[in-house]
Amino acid sequence: MILFDRVTKVYPNQSIALSGLNVHIQPKEFVTIVGSSGAGKSTLIKLLTREETHTSGKIIVGGLDYDTIRPKDVPLVRRRIGVVFQDFKLLPNRRVGENVAFALEVSGARPGEIKRAVPKMLTLVGLGQKEQMFPHELSGGERQRVAIARALIRQPKILIADEPTGNLDPKNAWEIIELLLKINRFGTTVLLTTHNKEIVNALKRRVITINRGRIVKDEEQGRYTLEGGK
Amino acid sequence: MVLQLWRVIHAGARNFTRNLWLSTAATAVMTITLTIVLVSFISNSALTNTIKNVTDKIDVSIYLNDNISPAQLDGLKAKIAANPDVAGLRYISKADALADWRAQHANDPQLLQATTDTDNPLPASFAIKARDPKHLDSLSALVQQPDVSPLLDAKTPFSYSGKNKTTIDRIISFSSFFRTSGLIVSVIFVTISVLIIFNTIRMAIFTRRDEIEIMKLVGATKWFVRGPFLFEAALYGIVAAIVSAGLSYALLFAGGPKVKGYIDLNAALHLFQAYPFIVIGGAVFIGVCIGMFSSLLAMGRYLKL
Repeated sequence: MILFDRVTKVYPNQSIALSGLNVHIQPKEFVTIVGSSGAGKSTLIKLLTREETHTSGKIIVGGLDYDTIRPKDVPLVRRRIGVVFQDFKLLPNRRVGENVAFALEVSGARPGEIKRAVPKMLTLVGLGQKEQMFPHELSGGERQRVAIARALIRQPKILIADEPTGNLDPKNAWEIIELLLKINRFGTTVLLTTHNKEIVNALKRRVITINRGRIVKDEEQGRYTLEGGK
Repeated sequence: MVLQLWRVIHAGARNFTRNLWLSTAATAVMTITLTIVLVSFISNSALTNTIKNVTDKIDVSIYLNDNISPAQLDGLKAKIAANPDVAGLRYISKADALADWRAQHANDPQLLQATTDTDNPLPASFAIKARDPKHLDSLSALVQQPDVSPLLDAKTPFSYSGKNKTTIDRIISFSSFFRTSGLIVSVIFVTISVLIIFNTIRMAIFTRRDEIEIMKLVGATKWFVRGPFLFEAALYGIVAAIVSAGLSYALLFAGGPKVKGYIDLNAALHLFQAYPFIVIGGAVFIGVCIGMFSSLLAMGRYLKL
Protein backbone atom coordinates (compact mmCIF):
# COMPACT_ATOMS: atom_id res chain seq x y z
CA MET A 1 0.00 0.00 0.00
CA ILE A 2 2.78 2.43 1.01
CA LEU A 3 6.37 1.93 -0.08
CA PHE A 4 9.26 4.23 0.80
CA ASP A 5 12.43 2.98 -0.86
CA ARG A 6 15.63 4.73 0.28
CA VAL A 7 13.79 8.04 0.50
CA THR A 8 15.85 11.10 1.35
CA LYS A 9 14.52 14.57 1.92
CA VAL A 10 16.85 17.52 2.14
CA TYR A 11 15.26 20.94 2.69
CA PRO A 12 16.57 24.01 0.84
CA ASN A 13 18.40 25.11 4.02
CA GLN A 14 20.38 21.82 3.71
CA SER A 15 18.80 20.22 6.77
CA ILE A 16 18.35 16.50 6.20
CA ALA A 17 14.86 15.48 7.34
CA LEU A 18 14.86 11.91 6.05
CA SER A 19 17.89 9.90 5.12
CA GLY A 20 17.53 6.72 3.04
CA LEU A 21 14.24 5.76 4.70
CA ASN A 22 12.82 2.30 3.89
CA VAL A 23 9.22 1.61 4.89
CA HIS A 24 6.75 -0.89 3.54
CA ILE A 25 3.21 -0.80 4.85
CA GLN A 26 0.72 -3.45 3.76
CA PRO A 27 -2.95 -2.75 2.99
CA LYS A 28 -5.24 -2.73 6.06
CA GLU A 29 -2.31 -2.36 8.45
CA PHE A 30 -2.48 -0.13 11.52
CA VAL A 31 0.96 1.42 11.96
CA THR A 32 2.09 3.85 14.63
CA ILE A 33 5.05 6.08 13.94
CA VAL A 34 6.87 7.51 16.91
CA GLY A 35 9.81 9.83 17.14
CA SER A 36 10.86 12.92 19.01
CA SER A 37 10.33 16.39 17.56
CA GLY A 38 12.36 16.91 14.43
CA ALA A 39 12.80 13.16 13.91
CA GLY A 40 11.16 13.31 10.49
CA LYS A 41 7.55 12.23 11.20
CA SER A 42 6.02 15.41 9.80
CA THR A 43 8.22 15.26 6.71
CA LEU A 44 7.12 11.67 6.14
CA ILE A 45 3.46 12.78 6.22
CA LYS A 46 4.13 15.81 4.02
CA LEU A 47 5.76 13.56 1.45
CA LEU A 48 2.72 11.27 1.50
CA THR A 49 0.31 14.16 0.99
CA ARG A 50 2.67 15.70 -1.53
CA GLU A 51 3.03 18.95 0.39
CA GLU A 52 6.74 18.30 -0.07
CA THR A 53 8.63 16.38 -2.73
CA HIS A 54 11.39 13.90 -1.91
CA THR A 55 14.96 14.60 -2.89
CA SER A 56 15.84 11.03 -3.86
CA GLY A 57 14.52 7.48 -3.59
CA LYS A 58 11.13 6.17 -4.54
CA ILE A 59 7.66 6.62 -3.05
CA ILE A 60 4.82 4.39 -4.25
CA VAL A 61 1.37 4.75 -2.69
CA GLY A 62 -1.53 2.55 -3.79
CA GLY A 63 0.38 1.64 -6.94
CA LEU A 64 1.07 5.28 -7.82
CA ASP A 65 4.71 6.19 -8.30
CA TYR A 66 5.15 9.71 -6.86
CA ASP A 67 7.89 10.46 -9.39
CA THR A 68 5.28 10.41 -12.14
CA ILE A 69 2.84 12.87 -10.50
CA ARG A 70 2.36 16.09 -12.41
CA PRO A 71 1.59 19.25 -10.37
CA LYS A 72 -1.99 19.30 -11.59
CA ASP A 73 -2.53 15.73 -10.33
CA VAL A 74 -1.58 16.60 -6.74
CA PRO A 75 -5.22 17.32 -5.69
CA LEU A 76 -6.21 13.89 -7.01
CA VAL A 77 -3.46 12.28 -4.91
CA ARG A 78 -4.74 14.11 -1.82
CA ARG A 79 -8.27 12.90 -2.42
CA ARG A 80 -7.04 9.31 -2.13
CA ILE A 81 -5.61 9.93 1.33
CA GLY A 82 -7.55 11.11 4.38
CA VAL A 83 -5.62 13.23 6.87
CA VAL A 84 -6.48 14.20 10.45
CA PHE A 85 -4.49 16.75 12.44
CA GLN A 86 -3.92 17.61 16.06
CA ASP A 87 -5.62 21.00 15.64
CA PHE A 88 -8.59 19.53 13.72
CA LYS A 89 -8.46 22.14 10.94
CA LEU A 90 -12.21 22.64 10.72
CA LEU A 91 -13.91 25.63 9.11
CA PRO A 92 -15.22 27.54 12.14
CA ASN A 93 -18.05 29.32 10.34
CA ARG A 94 -19.54 26.18 8.84
CA ARG A 95 -21.72 23.62 10.50
CA VAL A 96 -20.54 20.10 11.23
CA GLY A 97 -22.39 18.70 8.22
CA GLU A 98 -21.02 21.43 5.94
CA ASN A 99 -17.47 20.77 7.11
CA VAL A 100 -17.80 17.13 6.14
CA ALA A 101 -19.62 17.97 2.91
CA PHE A 102 -16.83 20.37 1.97
CA ALA A 103 -14.45 17.50 1.15
CA LEU A 104 -17.04 16.11 -1.25
CA GLU A 105 -17.87 19.50 -2.81
CA VAL A 106 -14.22 20.04 -3.60
CA SER A 107 -14.06 16.79 -5.51
CA GLY A 108 -17.16 17.66 -7.53
CA ALA A 109 -19.73 15.38 -5.86
CA ARG A 110 -23.39 15.99 -6.69
CA PRO A 111 -25.67 17.53 -4.03
CA GLY A 112 -27.78 14.35 -3.82
CA GLU A 113 -24.70 12.25 -3.19
CA ILE A 114 -23.51 14.67 -0.49
CA LYS A 115 -26.90 14.64 1.20
CA ARG A 116 -26.86 10.85 1.42
CA ALA A 117 -23.21 10.38 2.42
CA VAL A 118 -22.76 13.03 5.13
CA PRO A 119 -25.33 11.83 7.72
CA LYS A 120 -24.14 8.26 7.22
CA MET A 121 -20.53 9.22 7.91
CA LEU A 122 -21.47 11.35 10.92
CA THR A 123 -23.39 8.42 12.37
CA LEU A 124 -20.33 6.21 11.85
CA VAL A 125 -18.16 8.56 13.92
CA GLY A 126 -20.87 8.95 16.57
CA LEU A 127 -22.07 12.47 15.68
CA GLY A 128 -25.38 11.57 14.05
CA GLN A 129 -27.27 14.19 16.07
CA LYS A 130 -24.79 17.06 15.67
CA GLU A 131 -24.89 17.78 11.96
CA GLN A 132 -26.32 21.28 12.45
CA MET A 133 -23.93 22.40 15.18
CA PHE A 134 -20.91 24.65 14.73
CA PRO A 135 -17.41 23.40 15.67
CA HIS A 136 -17.16 25.78 18.64
CA GLU A 137 -20.21 24.11 20.17
CA LEU A 138 -18.43 20.74 20.27
CA SER A 139 -15.88 19.22 22.63
CA GLY A 140 -12.32 18.56 21.44
CA GLY A 141 -13.03 14.87 20.97
CA GLU A 142 -16.15 15.64 18.95
CA ARG A 143 -14.26 18.09 16.75
CA GLN A 144 -11.68 15.44 16.03
CA ARG A 145 -14.49 13.08 15.06
CA VAL A 146 -15.73 15.68 12.59
CA ALA A 147 -12.22 15.86 11.14
CA ILE A 148 -12.14 12.06 10.89
CA ALA A 149 -15.55 12.05 9.19
CA ARG A 150 -14.29 14.62 6.69
CA ALA A 151 -11.14 12.59 6.05
CA LEU A 152 -13.14 9.42 5.48
CA ILE A 153 -16.08 10.78 3.48
CA ARG A 154 -14.38 10.04 0.18
CA GLN A 155 -13.58 6.52 1.34
CA PRO A 156 -9.81 6.77 1.05
CA LYS A 157 -7.73 3.60 1.28
CA ILE A 158 -5.31 5.34 3.64
CA LEU A 159 -6.01 7.46 6.71
CA ILE A 160 -3.15 9.47 8.20
CA ALA A 161 -3.73 10.64 11.77
CA ASP A 162 -1.05 13.17 12.75
CA GLU A 163 -1.08 13.46 16.55
CA PRO A 164 -4.88 13.23 16.60
CA THR A 165 -5.03 12.94 20.38
CA GLY A 166 -2.50 15.68 21.15
CA ASN A 167 -5.16 18.18 22.25
CA LEU A 168 -7.50 15.74 23.96
CA ASP A 169 -7.99 14.47 27.49
CA PRO A 170 -7.32 10.74 28.07
CA LYS A 171 -10.98 9.73 27.79
CA ASN A 172 -11.52 11.54 24.49
CA ALA A 173 -8.11 10.37 23.27
CA TRP A 174 -9.06 6.75 23.79
CA GLU A 175 -12.38 7.25 22.05
CA ILE A 176 -10.57 8.62 19.00
CA ILE A 177 -8.12 5.70 19.01
CA GLU A 178 -11.03 3.27 19.23
CA LEU A 179 -12.65 5.02 16.30
CA LEU A 180 -9.42 4.69 14.28
CA LEU A 181 -9.27 0.97 15.14
CA LYS A 182 -12.87 0.59 13.99
CA ILE A 183 -12.06 2.34 10.70
CA ASN A 184 -9.05 0.04 10.32
CA ARG A 185 -11.28 -3.01 10.85
CA PHE A 186 -13.43 -1.79 7.94
CA GLY A 187 -10.32 -2.10 5.75
CA THR A 188 -8.65 1.33 5.77
CA THR A 189 -4.89 1.44 6.25
CA VAL A 190 -4.21 3.70 9.23
CA LEU A 191 -0.97 5.56 9.83
CA LEU A 192 -0.87 7.12 13.29
CA THR A 193 1.78 9.41 14.72
CA THR A 194 1.68 10.07 18.44
CA HIS A 195 3.69 10.94 21.51
CA ASN A 196 1.26 9.13 23.78
CA LYS A 197 3.22 6.28 25.35
CA GLU A 198 0.19 4.69 26.96
CA ILE A 199 -1.70 4.52 23.71
CA VAL A 200 1.23 3.08 21.76
CA ASN A 201 1.87 0.41 24.36
CA ALA A 202 -1.79 -0.53 24.69
CA LEU A 203 -2.38 -0.78 20.94
CA LYS A 204 -0.01 -3.72 20.46
CA ARG A 205 0.27 -2.94 16.78
CA ARG A 206 3.22 -2.31 14.49
CA VAL A 207 5.40 0.58 15.73
CA ILE A 208 8.05 2.32 13.62
CA THR A 209 10.47 4.50 15.60
CA ILE A 210 12.22 7.26 13.69
CA ASN A 211 15.21 9.23 14.87
CA ARG A 212 17.13 11.83 12.87
CA GLY A 213 15.46 10.83 9.63
CA ARG A 214 16.22 7.12 9.96
CA ILE A 215 14.26 4.12 11.20
CA VAL A 216 15.77 2.93 14.43
CA LYS A 217 13.18 0.31 15.26
CA ASP A 218 10.34 -1.42 13.39
CA GLU A 219 8.44 -4.00 15.48
CA GLU A 220 5.24 -5.91 14.76
CA GLN A 221 3.89 -5.45 18.29
CA GLY A 222 6.01 -2.53 19.31
CA ARG A 223 6.25 -0.40 22.40
CA TYR A 224 7.03 3.24 23.00
CA THR A 225 10.73 3.34 23.80
CA LEU A 226 11.52 7.05 23.49
CA GLU A 227 12.39 9.21 26.45
CA GLY A 228 9.76 11.66 27.62
CA GLY A 229 6.57 10.09 26.23
CA LYS A 230 3.32 11.10 27.91
CA MET B 1 -17.88 21.18 -14.43
CA VAL B 2 -20.98 23.40 -14.28
CA LEU B 3 -21.50 22.27 -10.69
CA GLN B 4 -17.91 23.19 -9.78
CA LEU B 5 -18.25 26.55 -11.52
CA TRP B 6 -21.44 27.19 -9.58
CA ARG B 7 -19.68 26.33 -6.31
CA VAL B 8 -16.80 28.69 -7.16
CA ILE B 9 -19.24 31.52 -7.99
CA HIS B 10 -21.21 30.83 -4.83
CA ALA B 11 -18.05 30.92 -2.71
CA GLY B 12 -16.92 34.14 -4.42
CA ALA B 13 -20.27 35.82 -3.79
CA ARG B 14 -20.17 34.71 -0.16
CA ASN B 15 -16.66 36.17 0.22
CA PHE B 16 -17.97 39.43 -1.25
CA THR B 17 -20.73 39.74 1.34
CA ARG B 18 -18.65 38.39 4.22
CA ASN B 19 -16.13 41.25 4.06
CA LEU B 20 -18.68 43.89 3.27
CA TRP B 21 -16.53 46.89 4.25
CA LEU B 22 -13.57 45.81 2.19
CA SER B 23 -15.82 44.94 -0.73
CA THR B 24 -17.59 48.29 -0.50
CA ALA B 25 -14.29 50.20 -0.50
CA ALA B 26 -12.97 48.25 -3.48
CA THR B 27 -16.24 48.67 -5.35
CA ALA B 28 -16.37 52.40 -4.58
CA VAL B 29 -12.91 53.02 -5.98
CA MET B 30 -13.72 50.92 -9.01
CA THR B 31 -16.96 52.92 -9.46
CA ILE B 32 -15.02 56.20 -9.44
CA THR B 33 -12.55 54.78 -11.94
CA LEU B 34 -15.18 53.48 -14.32
CA THR B 35 -17.16 56.72 -14.07
CA ILE B 36 -14.03 58.67 -14.98
CA VAL B 37 -13.36 56.31 -17.88
CA LEU B 38 -16.96 56.66 -19.11
CA VAL B 39 -17.10 60.44 -18.64
CA SER B 40 -13.77 60.81 -20.35
CA PHE B 41 -15.12 58.66 -23.17
CA ILE B 42 -18.22 60.85 -23.43
CA SER B 43 -16.23 64.08 -23.36
CA ASN B 44 -13.77 62.70 -25.83
CA SER B 45 -16.51 61.80 -28.27
CA ALA B 46 -18.23 65.14 -27.67
CA LEU B 47 -15.00 67.06 -28.10
CA THR B 48 -14.05 65.14 -31.21
CA ASN B 49 -17.41 66.03 -32.66
CA THR B 50 -17.24 69.65 -31.57
CA ILE B 51 -13.75 70.02 -32.94
CA LYS B 52 -14.71 68.30 -36.16
CA ASN B 53 -17.57 70.74 -36.53
CA VAL B 54 -15.24 73.66 -35.90
CA THR B 55 -12.42 72.40 -38.05
CA ASP B 56 -14.78 71.51 -40.86
CA LYS B 57 -15.57 75.20 -40.94
CA ILE B 58 -11.92 76.17 -41.06
CA ASP B 59 -10.95 77.00 -44.60
CA VAL B 60 -7.91 78.86 -45.41
CA SER B 61 -7.98 81.23 -48.35
CA ILE B 62 -5.28 82.18 -50.76
CA TYR B 63 -6.05 85.45 -52.49
CA LEU B 64 -4.92 85.87 -56.05
CA ASN B 65 -3.37 88.71 -57.94
CA ASP B 66 -5.85 90.32 -60.40
CA ASN B 67 -3.36 89.96 -63.23
CA ILE B 68 -3.06 86.18 -63.02
CA SER B 69 -3.44 84.48 -66.41
CA PRO B 70 -5.74 81.46 -66.92
CA ALA B 71 -2.66 79.26 -67.48
CA GLN B 72 -1.05 80.47 -64.26
CA LEU B 73 -4.36 79.95 -62.48
CA ASP B 74 -4.57 76.33 -63.69
CA GLY B 75 -0.94 75.75 -62.76
CA LEU B 76 -1.45 77.11 -59.24
CA LYS B 77 -4.67 75.14 -58.82
CA ALA B 78 -2.87 71.91 -59.78
CA LYS B 79 -0.02 72.73 -57.43
CA ILE B 80 -2.33 73.33 -54.42
CA ALA B 81 -4.45 70.25 -55.20
CA ALA B 82 -1.29 68.15 -55.32
CA ASN B 83 -0.43 69.11 -51.72
CA PRO B 84 -1.22 66.03 -49.57
CA ASP B 85 -2.62 68.20 -46.77
CA VAL B 86 -5.34 69.63 -48.96
CA ALA B 87 -8.71 67.89 -48.73
CA GLY B 88 -10.76 70.23 -50.91
CA LEU B 89 -10.23 73.20 -53.11
CA ARG B 90 -12.73 75.71 -54.43
CA TYR B 91 -12.02 78.61 -56.78
CA ILE B 92 -13.86 81.83 -56.01
CA SER B 93 -13.70 84.30 -58.85
CA LYS B 94 -13.74 88.07 -58.36
CA ALA B 95 -17.42 88.11 -59.37
CA ASP B 96 -18.27 85.32 -56.90
CA ALA B 97 -16.41 87.15 -54.14
CA LEU B 98 -18.36 90.30 -54.86
CA ALA B 99 -21.66 88.43 -54.92
CA ASP B 100 -20.81 86.82 -51.57
CA TRP B 101 -19.81 90.16 -50.13
CA ARG B 102 -23.02 91.76 -51.34
CA ALA B 103 -25.08 88.97 -49.89
CA GLN B 104 -23.34 89.42 -46.54
CA HIS B 105 -23.95 93.16 -46.54
CA ALA B 106 -27.41 93.18 -48.09
CA ASN B 107 -28.69 95.37 -45.26
CA ASP B 108 -26.10 98.07 -45.72
CA PRO B 109 -26.95 100.09 -48.86
CA GLN B 110 -24.04 102.48 -48.31
CA LEU B 111 -21.50 99.71 -48.51
CA LEU B 112 -23.32 98.20 -51.49
CA GLN B 113 -23.12 101.47 -53.34
CA ALA B 114 -19.38 101.68 -52.73
CA THR B 115 -18.75 98.75 -55.01
CA THR B 116 -19.74 98.23 -58.60
CA ASP B 117 -19.20 95.35 -61.00
CA THR B 118 -16.62 97.35 -62.89
CA ASP B 119 -14.75 98.57 -59.86
CA ASN B 120 -14.49 95.35 -57.87
CA PRO B 121 -11.81 95.59 -55.16
CA LEU B 122 -12.19 92.01 -54.01
CA PRO B 123 -9.56 89.55 -55.18
CA ALA B 124 -10.27 86.10 -56.60
CA SER B 125 -9.26 83.33 -54.21
CA PHE B 126 -8.89 79.64 -53.54
CA ALA B 127 -10.85 78.39 -50.51
CA ILE B 128 -8.86 75.45 -49.23
CA LYS B 129 -10.10 72.79 -46.84
CA ALA B 130 -7.24 71.19 -44.96
CA ARG B 131 -7.17 67.43 -44.41
CA ASP B 132 -5.97 68.01 -40.86
CA PRO B 133 -6.11 71.56 -39.53
CA LYS B 134 -3.04 70.73 -37.42
CA HIS B 135 -0.95 70.55 -40.59
CA LEU B 136 -1.42 73.88 -42.24
CA ASP B 137 2.23 74.80 -42.22
CA SER B 138 2.93 73.12 -45.54
CA LEU B 139 0.36 75.48 -47.06
CA SER B 140 2.13 78.43 -45.50
CA ALA B 141 5.33 77.18 -47.04
CA LEU B 142 3.63 76.75 -50.40
CA VAL B 143 2.46 80.35 -50.62
CA GLN B 144 5.94 81.58 -49.86
CA GLN B 145 7.52 79.72 -52.76
CA PRO B 146 9.13 82.20 -55.24
CA ASP B 147 7.05 80.96 -58.18
CA VAL B 148 3.81 81.19 -56.18
CA SER B 149 4.04 84.43 -54.22
CA PRO B 150 4.02 86.77 -57.30
CA LEU B 151 0.68 85.25 -58.31
CA LEU B 152 -0.92 86.21 -55.03
CA ASP B 153 -2.64 89.38 -53.98
CA ALA B 154 -0.09 91.39 -52.04
CA LYS B 155 -2.72 93.36 -50.09
CA THR B 156 -4.64 90.39 -48.70
CA PRO B 157 -2.46 87.91 -46.87
CA PHE B 158 -2.95 84.13 -46.68
CA SER B 159 -5.87 83.80 -44.26
CA TYR B 160 -4.19 81.16 -42.11
CA SER B 161 -1.90 83.61 -40.58
CA GLY B 162 -1.91 86.20 -37.85
CA LYS B 163 -4.97 86.21 -35.60
CA ASN B 164 -6.79 83.39 -37.41
CA LYS B 165 -3.80 81.12 -37.12
CA THR B 166 -3.63 81.74 -33.36
CA THR B 167 -7.33 80.95 -32.88
CA ILE B 168 -7.19 77.79 -34.95
CA ASP B 169 -4.03 76.62 -33.24
CA ARG B 170 -5.56 77.34 -29.83
CA ILE B 171 -8.69 75.27 -30.55
CA ILE B 172 -6.55 72.39 -31.69
CA SER B 173 -4.12 72.48 -28.78
CA PHE B 174 -7.02 72.75 -26.30
CA SER B 175 -8.62 69.63 -27.75
CA SER B 176 -5.42 67.59 -27.60
CA PHE B 177 -4.77 68.81 -24.06
CA PHE B 178 -8.25 67.72 -23.01
CA ARG B 179 -7.86 64.31 -24.62
CA THR B 180 -4.44 63.72 -23.10
CA SER B 181 -5.52 64.79 -19.64
CA GLY B 182 -8.61 62.53 -19.86
CA LEU B 183 -6.36 59.64 -20.74
CA ILE B 184 -3.86 60.43 -17.97
CA VAL B 185 -6.59 60.76 -15.29
CA SER B 186 -8.13 57.47 -16.49
CA VAL B 187 -4.78 55.70 -16.32
CA ILE B 188 -4.12 57.09 -12.82
CA PHE B 189 -7.47 55.91 -11.53
CA VAL B 190 -7.17 52.50 -13.18
CA THR B 191 -3.81 52.14 -11.40
CA ILE B 192 -5.36 53.19 -8.06
CA SER B 193 -8.15 50.64 -8.58
CA VAL B 194 -5.68 47.90 -9.35
CA LEU B 195 -3.73 48.71 -6.18
CA ILE B 196 -6.82 48.84 -3.95
CA ILE B 197 -8.25 45.60 -5.30
CA PHE B 198 -4.84 43.98 -5.10
CA ASN B 199 -4.77 44.91 -1.43
CA THR B 200 -8.34 43.78 -0.79
CA ILE B 201 -7.66 40.37 -2.30
CA ARG B 202 -4.36 40.15 -0.44
CA MET B 203 -6.18 40.76 2.85
CA ALA B 204 -8.85 38.25 1.88
CA ILE B 205 -6.13 35.67 1.21
CA PHE B 206 -4.61 36.33 4.64
CA THR B 207 -7.90 36.19 6.53
CA ARG B 208 -8.86 32.97 4.77
CA ARG B 209 -5.52 31.21 4.91
CA ASP B 210 -6.88 28.48 7.22
CA GLU B 211 -9.69 27.84 4.82
CA ILE B 212 -7.24 27.74 1.91
CA GLU B 213 -5.07 25.26 3.79
CA ILE B 214 -8.08 23.04 4.43
CA MET B 215 -9.14 23.26 0.80
CA LYS B 216 -5.69 22.12 -0.27
CA LEU B 217 -5.75 19.39 2.34
CA VAL B 218 -8.99 17.88 1.11
CA GLY B 219 -7.76 17.91 -2.48
CA ALA B 220 -9.18 21.10 -3.99
CA THR B 221 -7.72 21.90 -7.39
CA LYS B 222 -5.76 25.08 -7.90
CA TRP B 223 -8.69 26.78 -9.62
CA PHE B 224 -11.19 25.67 -7.03
CA VAL B 225 -9.13 27.60 -4.48
CA ARG B 226 -8.35 30.56 -6.73
CA GLY B 227 -11.74 30.78 -8.44
CA PRO B 228 -13.64 32.45 -5.57
CA PHE B 229 -10.99 35.21 -5.25
CA LEU B 230 -11.14 35.78 -8.96
CA PHE B 231 -14.92 35.90 -9.02
CA GLU B 232 -15.01 38.17 -5.96
CA ALA B 233 -12.81 40.71 -7.76
CA ALA B 234 -14.87 40.37 -10.93
CA LEU B 235 -17.93 41.09 -8.82
CA TYR B 236 -16.40 44.41 -7.72
CA GLY B 237 -16.11 45.23 -11.41
CA ILE B 238 -19.66 44.17 -12.25
CA VAL B 239 -21.30 46.11 -9.40
CA ALA B 240 -19.09 49.15 -10.01
CA ALA B 241 -19.81 49.09 -13.75
CA ILE B 242 -23.56 49.11 -13.20
CA VAL B 243 -23.35 51.97 -10.68
CA SER B 244 -20.97 54.01 -12.81
CA ALA B 245 -23.05 53.47 -15.95
CA GLY B 246 -26.04 54.80 -13.97
CA LEU B 247 -24.00 57.81 -12.83
CA SER B 248 -22.78 58.50 -16.36
CA TYR B 249 -26.31 58.30 -17.75
CA ALA B 250 -27.50 60.70 -15.06
CA LEU B 251 -24.61 63.05 -15.75
CA LEU B 252 -25.14 62.96 -19.51
CA PHE B 253 -28.89 63.45 -19.48
CA ALA B 254 -29.06 65.91 -16.57
CA GLY B 255 -25.91 67.87 -17.36
CA GLY B 256 -26.03 67.53 -21.15
CA PRO B 257 -28.64 70.26 -21.84
CA LYS B 258 -26.61 72.76 -19.80
CA VAL B 259 -23.58 72.53 -22.08
CA LYS B 260 -25.55 72.06 -25.27
CA GLY B 261 -24.52 75.39 -26.77
CA TYR B 262 -20.82 74.78 -26.21
CA ILE B 263 -20.13 71.18 -27.03
CA ASP B 264 -21.77 68.68 -29.30
CA LEU B 265 -23.07 65.76 -27.22
CA ASN B 266 -25.13 64.22 -30.02
CA ALA B 267 -22.79 61.31 -30.69
CA ALA B 268 -22.54 60.40 -27.00
CA LEU B 269 -26.31 60.79 -26.51
CA HIS B 270 -26.98 58.63 -29.53
CA LEU B 271 -24.61 55.90 -28.30
CA PHE B 272 -26.06 55.92 -24.78
CA GLN B 273 -29.65 55.90 -26.01
CA ALA B 274 -29.43 53.49 -28.91
CA TYR B 275 -26.90 51.02 -27.49
CA PRO B 276 -27.25 50.95 -23.68
CA PHE B 277 -26.12 47.32 -23.58
CA ILE B 278 -22.91 48.17 -25.39
CA VAL B 279 -22.21 51.01 -22.95
CA ILE B 280 -23.02 48.96 -19.82
CA GLY B 281 -21.41 45.84 -21.30
CA GLY B 282 -18.27 47.82 -22.12
CA ALA B 283 -18.12 49.21 -18.58
CA VAL B 284 -18.67 45.71 -17.13
CA PHE B 285 -15.96 44.34 -19.40
CA ILE B 286 -13.44 46.98 -18.30
CA GLY B 287 -14.42 46.54 -14.63
CA VAL B 288 -14.14 42.76 -14.77
CA CYS B 289 -10.78 43.00 -16.54
CA ILE B 290 -9.40 45.42 -13.91
CA GLY B 291 -10.76 43.28 -11.06
CA MET B 292 -9.49 39.97 -12.40
CA PHE B 293 -6.12 41.40 -13.33
CA SER B 294 -5.61 42.79 -9.80
CA SER B 295 -6.82 39.56 -8.24
CA LEU B 296 -4.48 37.46 -10.38
CA LEU B 297 -1.64 39.76 -9.43
CA ALA B 298 -2.40 39.36 -5.70
CA MET B 299 -2.80 35.59 -5.98
CA GLY B 300 0.41 35.24 -7.94
CA ARG B 301 2.19 36.98 -5.11
CA TYR B 302 0.42 35.69 -1.99
CA LEU B 303 -1.45 32.50 -2.84
CA LYS B 304 1.10 29.79 -3.40
CA LEU B 305 -0.58 26.48 -4.13
